[in-house]
Amino acid sequence: MAPVIEVTGVSKSFTIPSVRRETVREHALDLFRPRANERLRVLDSVSFELRRGESLGLMGRNGSGKSTLLKIVSGIYPADEGRVDVRAALTPILELGVGWNPDLDAIDNIELLGTVMGLTLRELRAATHEILEFAELQKFAHLELRHYSSGMAARLAYAVAFRAVREILILDEIFAVGDAGFKERCQSRYREMHRAGHSMLLVSHEPRTIAAFCERALLLEGGRIVMAGPAEAVADRYLTLLTEEQPAVPHPVAG
Amino acid sequence: MVPVATTRVRQAPAQFAGLVWTLIRTDFKTRYHGTIGGFVWALLKPLTMFLVLLAVFSYVFAGDPQYKLDLIIGLFLYEFFQESTKAGLLSIRAKGYLLTKARFPSWIVVVTSASNAVITLALFSVVLVMFLSVTGRAPSPAAVALYATYQVLFVAMVAGFSLAASVLFMRYRDLNQVWEVVTHAGFFIAPIIYPLGILPERLHGYLYIWPPTPIILFSRSVLIDGRTPSPLAHALLLLETAVVLGAGVLIYRARAPRVAEQL
Repeated sequence: MAPVIEVTGVSKSFTIPSVRRETVREHALDLFRPRANERLRVLDSVSFELRRGESLGLMGRNGSGKSTLLKIVSGIYPADEGRVDVRAALTPILELGVGWNPDLDAIDNIELLGTVMGLTLRELRAATHEILEFAELQKFAHLELRHYSSGMAARLAYAVAFRAVREILILDEIFAVGDAGFKERCQSRYREMHRAGHSMLLVSHEPRTIAAFCERALLLEGGRIVMAGPAEAVADRYLTLLTEEQPAVPHPVAG
Repeated sequence: MVPVATTRVRQAPAQFAGLVWTLIRTDFKTRYHGTIGGFVWALLKPLTMFLVLLAVFSYVFAGDPQYKLDLIIGLFLYEFFQESTKAGLLSIRAKGYLLTKARFPSWIVVVTSASNAVITLALFSVVLVMFLSVTGRAPSPAAVALYATYQVLFVAMVAGFSLAASVLFMRYRDLNQVWEVVTHAGFFIAPIIYPLGILPERLHGYLYIWPPTPIILFSRSVLIDGRTPSPLAHALLLLETAVVLGAGVLIYRARAPRVAEQL
Protein backbone atom coordinates (compact mmCIF):
# COMPACT_ATOMS: atom_id res chain seq x y z
CA MET A 1 0.00 0.00 0.00
CA ALA A 2 1.38 3.44 -0.97
CA PRO A 3 2.37 5.67 1.94
CA VAL A 4 0.01 8.60 2.67
CA ILE A 5 2.92 11.02 2.80
CA GLU A 6 6.07 10.55 0.76
CA VAL A 7 8.86 13.09 1.14
CA THR A 8 11.76 12.70 -1.28
CA GLY A 9 14.97 14.73 -1.16
CA VAL A 10 13.42 17.88 0.29
CA SER A 11 15.79 20.79 0.86
CA LYS A 12 15.02 24.26 2.10
CA SER A 13 17.16 27.35 2.63
CA PHE A 14 16.34 30.81 3.85
CA THR A 15 18.13 33.91 2.67
CA ILE A 16 19.64 35.98 5.44
CA PRO A 17 20.65 39.40 4.05
CA SER A 18 23.56 41.24 5.65
CA VAL A 19 21.43 44.39 5.66
CA ARG A 20 17.68 44.24 5.83
CA ARG A 21 15.72 46.36 3.38
CA GLU A 22 12.05 46.35 4.20
CA THR A 23 10.67 49.56 2.75
CA VAL A 24 10.32 51.21 -0.63
CA ARG A 25 12.54 53.98 0.67
CA GLU A 26 15.33 51.59 1.74
CA HIS A 27 15.21 49.76 -1.58
CA ALA A 28 15.35 53.04 -3.51
CA LEU A 29 18.21 54.53 -1.47
CA ASP A 30 20.30 51.34 -1.53
CA LEU A 31 19.58 50.47 -5.15
CA PHE A 32 23.22 50.42 -6.25
CA ARG A 33 24.78 49.42 -2.95
CA PRO A 34 25.87 45.77 -2.98
CA ARG A 35 24.36 43.55 -0.34
CA ALA A 36 25.75 40.20 0.71
CA ASN A 37 23.26 37.41 1.26
CA GLU A 38 23.85 34.30 3.27
CA ARG A 39 21.78 31.20 2.59
CA LEU A 40 20.88 29.26 5.69
CA ARG A 41 20.17 25.67 4.73
CA VAL A 42 17.53 24.46 7.15
CA LEU A 43 16.71 21.14 5.47
CA ASP A 44 19.10 19.07 3.41
CA SER A 45 17.77 16.23 1.24
CA VAL A 46 15.23 14.96 3.73
CA SER A 47 13.35 11.83 2.72
CA PHE A 48 10.83 9.78 4.66
CA GLU A 49 7.38 8.29 4.38
CA LEU A 50 4.34 8.08 6.60
CA ARG A 51 2.45 4.83 6.15
CA ARG A 52 -1.31 4.58 6.35
CA GLY A 53 -2.46 4.24 9.98
CA GLU A 54 1.05 4.79 11.33
CA SER A 55 2.10 7.13 14.14
CA LEU A 56 5.50 8.56 13.24
CA GLY A 57 7.52 10.68 15.67
CA LEU A 58 9.87 13.49 14.73
CA MET A 59 12.53 14.59 17.17
CA GLY A 60 15.35 17.08 17.02
CA ARG A 61 16.89 19.94 18.90
CA ASN A 62 15.80 23.54 18.50
CA GLY A 63 16.89 24.77 15.07
CA SER A 64 17.15 21.28 13.62
CA GLY A 65 14.46 22.03 11.00
CA LYS A 66 11.43 20.26 12.49
CA SER A 67 8.98 23.16 12.19
CA THR A 68 10.12 23.99 8.65
CA LEU A 69 9.68 20.36 7.66
CA LEU A 70 6.17 20.25 9.11
CA LYS A 71 5.23 23.43 7.25
CA ILE A 72 6.55 22.04 3.98
CA VAL A 73 4.66 18.78 4.45
CA SER A 74 1.53 20.78 5.32
CA GLY A 75 1.93 22.87 2.16
CA ILE A 76 2.41 26.15 4.03
CA TYR A 77 6.02 26.61 2.85
CA PRO A 78 7.25 25.50 -0.59
CA ALA A 79 10.34 23.30 -0.79
CA ASP A 80 13.38 24.54 -2.74
CA GLU A 81 14.13 21.05 -3.98
CA GLY A 82 12.53 17.67 -3.66
CA ARG A 83 9.08 16.26 -3.75
CA VAL A 84 6.22 16.01 -1.27
CA ASP A 85 3.34 13.69 -2.15
CA VAL A 86 0.37 13.83 0.17
CA ARG A 87 -2.21 11.19 -0.75
CA ALA A 88 -4.96 11.96 1.75
CA ALA A 89 -6.56 15.01 3.36
CA LEU A 90 -4.27 16.47 5.96
CA THR A 91 -4.88 18.52 9.10
CA PRO A 92 -1.90 20.37 10.52
CA ILE A 93 -2.00 21.46 14.15
CA LEU A 94 0.77 24.04 14.18
CA GLU A 95 1.36 27.27 16.10
CA LEU A 96 -2.06 27.05 17.62
CA GLY A 97 -1.22 28.93 20.78
CA VAL A 98 -1.07 32.22 18.92
CA GLY A 99 -3.22 34.06 16.46
CA TRP A 100 -6.85 34.79 17.10
CA ASN A 101 -9.13 37.64 16.32
CA PRO A 102 -9.21 39.28 19.76
CA ASP A 103 -12.39 41.25 19.00
CA LEU A 104 -14.46 38.14 18.37
CA ASP A 105 -15.83 35.73 20.94
CA ALA A 106 -14.95 32.04 21.17
CA ILE A 107 -17.81 30.90 18.93
CA ASP A 108 -16.84 33.24 16.07
CA ASN A 109 -13.19 32.30 16.44
CA ILE A 110 -14.12 28.60 16.37
CA GLU A 111 -15.87 29.21 13.03
CA LEU A 112 -12.94 31.22 11.68
CA LEU A 113 -10.29 28.67 12.60
CA GLY A 114 -12.51 25.69 11.82
CA THR A 115 -13.38 26.83 8.29
CA VAL A 116 -9.70 27.59 7.62
CA MET A 117 -8.93 24.04 8.72
CA GLY A 118 -11.41 22.65 6.24
CA LEU A 119 -14.63 22.11 8.21
CA THR A 120 -17.97 23.20 6.79
CA LEU A 121 -20.18 25.59 8.75
CA ARG A 122 -22.73 22.82 9.24
CA GLU A 123 -20.07 20.54 10.77
CA LEU A 124 -18.77 23.35 12.95
CA ARG A 125 -22.14 24.41 14.26
CA ALA A 126 -22.95 20.82 15.16
CA ALA A 127 -19.61 20.48 16.95
CA THR A 128 -19.40 23.83 18.76
CA HIS A 129 -20.70 22.48 22.06
CA GLU A 130 -18.32 19.52 21.93
CA ILE A 131 -15.36 21.81 21.13
CA LEU A 132 -16.12 24.14 24.03
CA GLU A 133 -16.60 21.17 26.33
CA PHE A 134 -13.28 19.61 25.29
CA ALA A 135 -11.54 22.92 26.03
CA GLU A 136 -13.58 23.37 29.25
CA LEU A 137 -14.64 26.82 28.10
CA GLN A 138 -18.43 26.52 27.93
CA LYS A 139 -18.82 29.36 30.42
CA PHE A 140 -16.68 31.65 28.29
CA ALA A 141 -18.25 30.94 24.91
CA HIS A 142 -19.37 34.55 24.45
CA LEU A 143 -16.26 36.17 25.91
CA GLU A 144 -14.00 37.97 23.45
CA LEU A 145 -10.63 36.30 22.97
CA ARG A 146 -8.79 39.40 24.20
CA HIS A 147 -9.92 38.43 27.70
CA TYR A 148 -8.64 34.84 27.44
CA SER A 149 -5.40 33.72 29.06
CA SER A 150 -2.82 32.15 26.73
CA GLY A 151 -3.63 28.73 28.17
CA MET A 152 -7.37 29.13 27.51
CA ALA A 153 -6.70 30.26 23.93
CA ALA A 154 -4.38 27.31 23.30
CA ARG A 155 -6.94 24.85 24.70
CA LEU A 156 -9.60 26.28 22.42
CA ALA A 157 -7.29 25.99 19.42
CA TYR A 158 -6.45 22.36 20.10
CA ALA A 159 -10.11 21.55 20.65
CA VAL A 160 -11.00 23.00 17.23
CA ALA A 161 -8.08 21.28 15.56
CA PHE A 162 -8.91 17.87 17.05
CA ARG A 163 -12.44 18.25 15.70
CA ALA A 164 -11.12 19.20 12.25
CA VAL A 165 -9.00 16.08 11.83
CA ARG A 166 -9.07 14.47 8.39
CA GLU A 167 -7.14 11.34 7.43
CA ILE A 168 -3.68 12.62 8.33
CA LEU A 169 -2.84 14.59 11.44
CA ILE A 170 0.33 16.63 11.88
CA LEU A 171 0.97 17.76 15.43
CA ASP A 172 3.60 20.07 16.88
CA GLU A 173 4.16 19.70 20.64
CA ILE A 174 0.54 18.82 21.18
CA PHE A 175 0.92 17.52 24.72
CA ALA A 176 2.68 20.59 26.07
CA VAL A 177 -0.49 22.64 26.52
CA GLY A 178 -2.84 23.04 29.44
CA ASP A 179 -3.09 21.40 32.83
CA ALA A 180 -2.81 17.70 33.60
CA GLY A 181 -6.50 17.12 32.88
CA PHE A 182 -6.36 18.74 29.46
CA LYS A 183 -3.16 16.87 28.56
CA GLU A 184 -4.86 13.61 29.51
CA ARG A 185 -7.84 14.46 27.28
CA CYS A 186 -5.50 15.29 24.39
CA GLN A 187 -3.64 12.04 24.86
CA SER A 188 -6.77 9.90 24.94
CA ARG A 189 -8.14 11.73 21.86
CA TYR A 190 -4.83 11.01 20.12
CA ARG A 191 -5.05 7.29 20.97
CA GLU A 192 -8.68 7.23 19.86
CA MET A 193 -7.79 8.70 16.46
CA HIS A 194 -4.85 6.36 16.06
CA ARG A 195 -7.08 3.36 16.78
CA ALA A 196 -9.56 4.70 14.23
CA GLY A 197 -6.86 4.41 11.58
CA HIS A 198 -5.65 8.01 11.24
CA SER A 199 -2.03 8.50 10.20
CA MET A 200 -0.08 10.79 12.53
CA LEU A 201 3.13 12.77 12.35
CA LEU A 202 4.01 13.91 15.84
CA VAL A 203 6.76 16.35 16.82
CA SER A 204 7.93 16.43 20.39
CA HIS A 205 10.98 17.28 22.46
CA GLU A 206 9.82 14.81 25.05
CA PRO A 207 11.35 11.32 24.53
CA ARG A 208 8.69 9.64 26.70
CA THR A 209 5.93 11.08 24.51
CA ILE A 210 7.53 9.79 21.32
CA ALA A 211 8.22 6.38 22.86
CA ALA A 212 4.67 6.09 24.20
CA PHE A 213 2.70 7.34 21.19
CA CYS A 214 4.71 6.40 18.10
CA GLU A 215 5.75 3.16 16.45
CA ARG A 216 8.60 4.68 14.46
CA ALA A 217 10.51 7.94 14.75
CA LEU A 218 12.97 10.14 12.88
CA LEU A 219 15.78 12.17 14.41
CA LEU A 220 16.53 15.43 12.65
CA GLU A 221 19.87 17.10 13.24
CA GLY A 222 21.31 20.05 11.32
CA GLY A 223 18.60 19.71 8.68
CA ARG A 224 19.29 16.03 7.98
CA ILE A 225 17.66 12.85 9.16
CA VAL A 226 20.41 11.19 11.16
CA MET A 227 18.38 8.29 12.46
CA ALA A 228 15.17 6.50 11.56
CA GLY A 229 13.88 3.50 13.43
CA PRO A 230 11.82 2.21 16.34
CA ALA A 231 10.50 5.13 18.43
CA GLU A 232 12.18 4.04 21.67
CA ALA A 233 15.62 3.72 20.05
CA VAL A 234 15.31 7.16 18.41
CA ALA A 235 14.17 8.69 21.72
CA ASP A 236 17.25 7.20 23.43
CA ARG A 237 19.53 8.53 20.69
CA TYR A 238 17.95 11.97 21.06
CA LEU A 239 18.72 11.97 24.79
CA THR A 240 22.34 11.06 24.03
CA LEU A 241 22.50 13.86 21.48
CA LEU A 242 21.32 16.40 24.05
CA THR A 243 24.24 15.54 26.32
CA GLU A 244 26.82 15.91 23.54
CA GLU A 245 28.86 19.10 23.70
CA GLN A 246 28.80 20.34 20.12
CA PRO A 247 25.34 21.48 19.04
CA ALA A 248 24.77 20.94 15.36
CA VAL A 249 23.31 24.04 13.73
CA PRO A 250 22.06 24.49 10.19
CA HIS A 251 24.99 25.22 7.95
CA PRO A 252 25.22 28.29 5.73
CA VAL A 253 25.80 27.68 2.04
CA ALA A 254 27.10 30.01 -0.60
CA GLY A 255 24.37 32.44 -1.59
CA MET B 1 17.80 17.43 -8.83
CA VAL B 2 14.35 16.09 -8.06
CA PRO B 3 11.56 18.35 -9.31
CA VAL B 4 9.67 20.31 -6.68
CA ALA B 5 6.11 19.11 -6.33
CA THR B 6 3.52 19.31 -3.63
CA THR B 7 0.22 17.51 -3.85
CA ARG B 8 -2.76 19.85 -4.01
CA VAL B 9 -5.69 19.14 -1.74
CA ARG B 10 -8.88 20.58 -3.20
CA GLN B 11 -11.54 22.19 -1.08
CA ALA B 12 -15.10 20.98 -1.42
CA PRO B 13 -17.63 23.68 -2.44
CA ALA B 14 -19.27 23.63 1.02
CA GLN B 15 -15.88 24.17 2.71
CA PHE B 16 -15.02 27.00 0.31
CA ALA B 17 -18.40 28.69 0.77
CA GLY B 18 -18.16 28.35 4.55
CA LEU B 19 -14.70 29.91 4.59
CA VAL B 20 -15.72 32.84 2.37
CA TRP B 21 -18.87 33.50 4.37
CA THR B 22 -17.02 33.30 7.71
CA LEU B 23 -14.29 35.70 6.55
CA ILE B 24 -16.89 38.22 5.33
CA ARG B 25 -19.07 37.87 8.42
CA THR B 26 -16.21 38.15 10.93
CA ASP B 27 -14.72 41.14 9.05
CA PHE B 28 -18.06 42.88 9.22
CA LYS B 29 -18.49 42.02 12.88
CA THR B 30 -14.96 43.13 13.78
CA ARG B 31 -15.38 46.46 12.03
CA TYR B 32 -18.49 47.42 13.95
CA HIS B 33 -17.36 45.76 17.16
CA GLY B 34 -18.16 47.97 20.13
CA THR B 35 -19.90 50.71 18.16
CA ILE B 36 -23.22 52.09 19.31
CA GLY B 37 -25.83 50.51 17.09
CA GLY B 38 -23.38 47.93 15.69
CA PHE B 39 -24.72 46.38 12.51
CA VAL B 40 -27.51 48.96 12.26
CA TRP B 41 -24.92 51.71 11.99
CA ALA B 42 -23.23 49.82 9.17
CA LEU B 43 -26.50 49.77 7.26
CA LEU B 44 -27.41 53.36 8.10
CA LYS B 45 -24.01 54.84 7.26
CA PRO B 46 -24.53 55.17 3.50
CA LEU B 47 -28.03 56.54 3.98
CA THR B 48 -27.08 59.09 6.62
CA MET B 49 -23.96 60.16 4.69
CA PHE B 50 -26.02 60.56 1.56
CA LEU B 51 -28.63 62.68 3.31
CA VAL B 52 -26.06 64.84 5.11
CA LEU B 53 -24.07 65.49 1.94
CA LEU B 54 -27.26 66.16 0.00
CA ALA B 55 -28.46 68.68 2.59
CA VAL B 56 -25.10 70.47 2.77
CA PHE B 57 -24.49 70.53 -0.99
CA SER B 58 -28.10 71.61 -1.69
CA TYR B 59 -27.38 74.68 0.39
CA VAL B 60 -23.84 75.36 -0.83
CA PHE B 61 -24.49 74.64 -4.53
CA ALA B 62 -28.10 75.80 -4.65
CA GLY B 63 -27.61 77.27 -8.12
CA ASP B 64 -26.40 74.02 -9.71
CA PRO B 65 -28.56 71.03 -8.65
CA GLN B 66 -26.73 68.61 -10.97
CA TYR B 67 -23.33 69.38 -9.44
CA LYS B 68 -24.33 68.18 -5.97
CA LEU B 69 -25.31 64.74 -7.33
CA ASP B 70 -22.14 64.51 -9.40
CA LEU B 71 -20.15 65.38 -6.30
CA ILE B 72 -21.92 62.84 -4.09
CA ILE B 73 -21.40 60.03 -6.63
CA GLY B 74 -17.74 60.98 -7.02
CA LEU B 75 -17.14 61.14 -3.27
CA PHE B 76 -18.83 57.80 -2.54
CA LEU B 77 -17.12 55.92 -5.34
CA TYR B 78 -13.74 57.36 -4.43
CA GLU B 79 -14.25 56.48 -0.77
CA PHE B 80 -15.02 52.91 -1.83
CA PHE B 81 -11.78 52.84 -3.82
CA GLN B 82 -9.69 54.21 -0.94
CA GLU B 83 -11.21 51.95 1.69
CA SER B 84 -11.19 48.73 -0.32
CA THR B 85 -7.65 49.11 -1.68
CA LYS B 86 -6.32 49.90 1.79
CA ALA B 87 -8.04 46.82 3.25
CA GLY B 88 -6.74 44.69 0.36
CA LEU B 89 -3.17 45.92 0.73
CA LEU B 90 -3.12 45.04 4.44
CA SER B 91 -5.15 41.84 4.14
CA ILE B 92 -2.43 39.17 4.15
CA ARG B 93 -0.56 40.89 6.94
CA ALA B 94 -3.78 41.21 8.95
CA LYS B 95 -4.82 37.58 8.46
CA GLY B 96 -1.33 36.11 8.60
CA TYR B 97 -2.16 34.19 11.73
CA LEU B 98 -4.53 32.03 9.68
CA LEU B 99 -2.11 31.45 6.80
CA THR B 100 0.53 29.84 9.02
CA LYS B 101 -1.91 27.35 10.51
CA ALA B 102 -3.36 25.55 7.55
CA ARG B 103 -3.10 25.34 3.83
CA PHE B 104 -5.79 27.29 2.06
CA PRO B 105 -5.72 29.73 -0.85
CA SER B 106 -4.63 33.09 0.53
CA TRP B 107 -6.33 34.94 -2.34
CA ILE B 108 -9.63 34.31 -0.54
CA VAL B 109 -8.40 36.48 2.33
CA VAL B 110 -7.37 39.23 -0.10
CA VAL B 111 -10.56 39.26 -2.15
CA THR B 112 -12.93 39.07 0.83
CA SER B 113 -11.13 41.98 2.51
CA ALA B 114 -13.13 44.36 0.28
CA SER B 115 -16.44 42.97 1.54
CA ASN B 116 -17.18 45.77 4.02
CA ALA B 117 -16.56 48.42 1.37
CA VAL B 118 -18.63 46.49 -1.19
CA ILE B 119 -21.58 46.30 1.22
CA THR B 120 -21.40 50.08 1.76
CA LEU B 121 -21.15 50.69 -1.99
CA ALA B 122 -24.15 48.46 -2.69
CA LEU B 123 -26.26 50.20 -0.05
CA PHE B 124 -25.23 53.62 -1.35
CA SER B 125 -26.21 52.56 -4.86
CA VAL B 126 -29.66 51.49 -3.64
CA VAL B 127 -30.12 54.80 -1.79
CA LEU B 128 -28.99 56.77 -4.85
CA VAL B 129 -31.33 55.01 -7.29
CA MET B 130 -34.23 55.36 -4.84
CA PHE B 131 -33.52 59.07 -4.41
CA LEU B 132 -33.42 59.60 -8.17
CA SER B 133 -36.68 57.68 -8.54
CA VAL B 134 -38.60 59.67 -5.91
CA THR B 135 -37.33 62.99 -7.28
CA GLY B 136 -38.64 62.24 -10.74
CA ARG B 137 -35.29 61.37 -12.36
CA ALA B 138 -35.66 57.59 -12.28
CA PRO B 139 -32.90 55.98 -14.35
CA SER B 140 -33.99 53.38 -16.90
CA PRO B 141 -33.42 49.69 -16.12
CA ALA B 142 -30.69 49.67 -18.78
CA ALA B 143 -28.94 52.59 -17.06
CA VAL B 144 -29.12 50.82 -13.69
CA ALA B 145 -27.75 47.63 -15.27
CA LEU B 146 -24.86 49.57 -16.82
CA TYR B 147 -24.16 51.32 -13.51
CA ALA B 148 -24.08 47.90 -11.77
CA THR B 149 -21.71 46.59 -14.44
CA TYR B 150 -19.34 49.52 -13.87
CA GLN B 151 -19.28 48.74 -10.15
CA VAL B 152 -18.52 45.08 -10.86
CA LEU B 153 -15.59 46.18 -13.03
CA PHE B 154 -14.51 48.59 -10.28
CA VAL B 155 -14.50 45.72 -7.76
CA ALA B 156 -12.49 43.61 -10.23
CA MET B 157 -9.89 46.39 -10.52
CA VAL B 158 -9.74 46.70 -6.74
CA ALA B 159 -9.27 42.92 -6.50
CA GLY B 160 -6.41 43.07 -9.02
CA PHE B 161 -4.69 45.87 -7.14
CA SER B 162 -5.23 44.14 -3.79
CA LEU B 163 -3.78 40.82 -4.98
CA ALA B 164 -0.57 42.51 -6.09
CA ALA B 165 -0.30 45.00 -3.22
CA SER B 166 -0.99 42.45 -0.48
CA VAL B 167 2.02 40.31 -1.46
CA LEU B 168 4.27 43.28 -2.27
CA PHE B 169 3.46 44.77 1.13
CA MET B 170 5.16 41.78 2.75
CA ARG B 171 8.40 42.96 1.12
CA TYR B 172 7.88 46.72 1.18
CA ARG B 173 6.53 47.52 4.60
CA ASP B 174 5.91 51.20 3.89
CA LEU B 175 3.77 50.48 0.84
CA ASN B 176 0.62 51.38 2.76
CA GLN B 177 2.00 54.86 3.45
CA VAL B 178 3.04 55.28 -0.18
CA TRP B 179 -0.43 54.18 -1.29
CA GLU B 180 -2.08 56.61 1.12
CA VAL B 181 -0.16 59.48 -0.48
CA VAL B 182 -1.07 58.20 -3.97
CA THR B 183 -4.78 57.96 -3.16
CA HIS B 184 -4.80 61.43 -1.60
CA ALA B 185 -3.18 62.85 -4.73
CA GLY B 186 -5.46 60.66 -6.85
CA PHE B 187 -8.50 62.35 -5.34
CA PHE B 188 -7.56 65.43 -7.34
CA ILE B 189 -6.62 63.45 -10.45
CA ALA B 190 -10.12 61.95 -10.62
CA PRO B 191 -12.69 64.55 -11.69
CA ILE B 192 -14.62 64.47 -8.43
CA ILE B 193 -14.79 68.11 -7.41
CA TYR B 194 -14.18 69.60 -10.87
CA PRO B 195 -15.63 68.77 -14.28
CA LEU B 196 -13.27 66.98 -16.66
CA GLY B 197 -14.00 69.64 -19.29
CA ILE B 198 -11.99 72.33 -17.54
CA LEU B 199 -8.77 70.43 -18.31
CA PRO B 200 -7.14 70.41 -21.78
CA GLU B 201 -8.48 67.54 -23.89
CA ARG B 202 -5.01 66.12 -24.50
CA LEU B 203 -4.82 65.25 -20.77
CA HIS B 204 -8.11 63.36 -20.62
CA GLY B 205 -6.65 60.07 -21.86
CA TYR B 206 -4.07 60.09 -19.06
CA LEU B 207 -6.71 60.81 -16.43
CA TYR B 208 -8.74 57.82 -17.60
CA ILE B 209 -5.84 55.53 -16.69
CA TRP B 210 -6.54 56.24 -13.00
CA PRO B 211 -9.23 53.56 -12.34
CA PRO B 212 -11.73 55.72 -10.41
CA THR B 213 -11.91 58.26 -13.28
CA PRO B 214 -13.79 56.21 -15.90
CA ILE B 215 -15.99 54.56 -13.26
CA ILE B 216 -17.05 57.89 -11.75
CA LEU B 217 -17.60 59.58 -15.11
CA PHE B 218 -19.50 56.65 -16.66
CA SER B 219 -21.64 56.19 -13.52
CA ARG B 220 -22.64 59.86 -13.57
CA SER B 221 -23.23 59.70 -17.27
CA VAL B 222 -25.76 56.83 -17.18
CA LEU B 223 -27.52 57.73 -13.94
CA ILE B 224 -27.61 61.54 -13.95
CA ASP B 225 -27.17 62.62 -17.58
CA GLY B 226 -29.01 59.67 -19.13
CA ARG B 227 -26.23 59.24 -21.70
CA THR B 228 -24.52 55.95 -22.48
CA PRO B 229 -20.77 56.11 -23.09
CA SER B 230 -19.63 55.00 -26.54
CA PRO B 231 -18.80 51.34 -27.33
CA LEU B 232 -15.14 52.40 -27.67
CA ALA B 233 -15.21 53.91 -24.17
CA HIS B 234 -16.69 50.67 -22.83
CA ALA B 235 -14.07 48.61 -24.66
CA LEU B 236 -11.29 50.72 -23.12
CA LEU B 237 -12.80 50.32 -19.66
CA LEU B 238 -12.93 46.54 -20.15
CA LEU B 239 -9.32 46.58 -21.34
CA GLU B 240 -8.23 48.64 -18.33
CA THR B 241 -10.02 46.23 -15.97
CA ALA B 242 -8.42 43.22 -17.67
CA VAL B 243 -4.95 44.78 -17.43
CA VAL B 244 -5.27 45.71 -13.74
CA LEU B 245 -6.79 42.36 -12.78
CA GLY B 246 -4.38 40.37 -14.97
CA ALA B 247 -1.31 42.18 -13.63
CA GLY B 248 -2.55 41.69 -10.07
CA VAL B 249 -3.07 37.97 -10.58
CA LEU B 250 0.37 37.54 -12.17
CA ILE B 251 2.19 39.40 -9.39
CA TYR B 252 0.21 37.51 -6.77
CA ARG B 253 0.93 34.13 -8.35
CA ALA B 254 4.65 34.91 -8.51
CA ARG B 255 4.95 35.93 -4.87
CA ALA B 256 2.16 34.17 -2.98
CA PRO B 257 3.83 30.74 -2.56
CA ARG B 258 6.50 32.27 -0.30
CA VAL B 259 4.31 34.75 1.51
CA ALA B 260 3.89 32.56 4.62
CA GLU B 261 7.68 32.69 5.10
CA GLN B 262 7.51 36.48 5.39
CA LEU B 263 4.84 36.59 8.06
